[in-house]
Amino acid sequence: MFEKNHLSHNDWSEAHRIASNCKDFVEDVEEEWIADEMPSCYNCRYRRCIPSGIKCIKPSKLL
Amino acid sequence: MKFYLCIDDTDNIDSIGTGTIAEQIKDKILSLGYGPCSLIVRHQLFIHEDIPYTSHNSSMCFYGEAPDDAYGQIISMASEHLNTVAATGSDPGLCILKVTDSMNYSPLIEFGKSAKKIVLTKKDAQNCAKENNLHLSEHGGTGQGIIGALAGIGLQIFGSDGEIKGALKTMAINRIYTVAELLTFPEVQQVIDFNSKECLKSDTQILINSRTKTVLFKNKYVLFVEKNNTHNYHSFKKSDLRQLGENFYV
Repeated sequence: MFEKNHLSHNDWSEAHRIASNCKDFVEDVEEEWIADEMPSCYNCRYRRCIPSGIKCIKPSKLL
Repeated sequence: MKFYLCIDDTDNIDSIGTGTIAEQIKDKILSLGYGPCSLIVRHQLFIHEDIPYTSHNSSMCFYGEAPDDAYGQIISMASEHLNTVAATGSDPGLCILKVTDSMNYSPLIEFGKSAKKIVLTKKDAQNCAKENNLHLSEHGGTGQGIIGALAGIGLQIFGSDGEIKGALKTMAINRIYTVAELLTFPEVQQVIDFNSKECLKSDTQILINSRTKTVLFKNKYVLFVEKNNTHNYHSFKKSDLRQLGENFYV
């Protein structure tokens, strides 16, 4: 599930798949990592936490 | 004196993180000959569209010891450091508390808890800081970071909130440790069964099978673990820690 550049709180495998294919993935500082898998949108510097999960702030670059 | 120091909203999407800046301030305090200082704790605050956080809305807090007459110097040093390193477009806030044993910090703790659940204003923070005799200062932008900076100190005094910054970086994944071995890490003061809240004995074996973190729980750096189907203990995933919700701590 990946709609409108948004992932829910627990979409670990999809976040790993997207980040693995994203040229703009940049690892965030370690204290802000959430996911075990790396890379992951949940551990990316360019994600923004929103009440329903995370949102990509570089959506035009995502595959 | 015992003091608490917390900063918030010092970064932008491409800059060094607020945690790194907190480490730098702590190092400067130590280099002045003061201390010891605690590890830095990351306090997660409310995620809401009306709050202009950079990406995660968290503040970074630590406490330490210093001579009574160093309070002004610590304020000046931390302020100057924030003015120098805070990122363009950020809204930094600094909060410092010189602890007075006779003070009742319940209102400050309540402010911290509220900042995890509702949208607060700068005016709310300024009023609370004034009533509880804290230093609270803005260092650029809108200065909105004063809200999280004050909240972080309230939550740290509360004693059950937040992850320890940098914790367990050197711990091997997929290795079994005894509790005694885990307690040799400076970020681990207790190992607790997540379900029973029982403090585990030193010879208990724990499989560290995922990235995990210690959290501030009842004023200790606690590593939560849980039993699997075969009744062996394993680490509690960081992703699960983030989803415990506020009721777990409060």
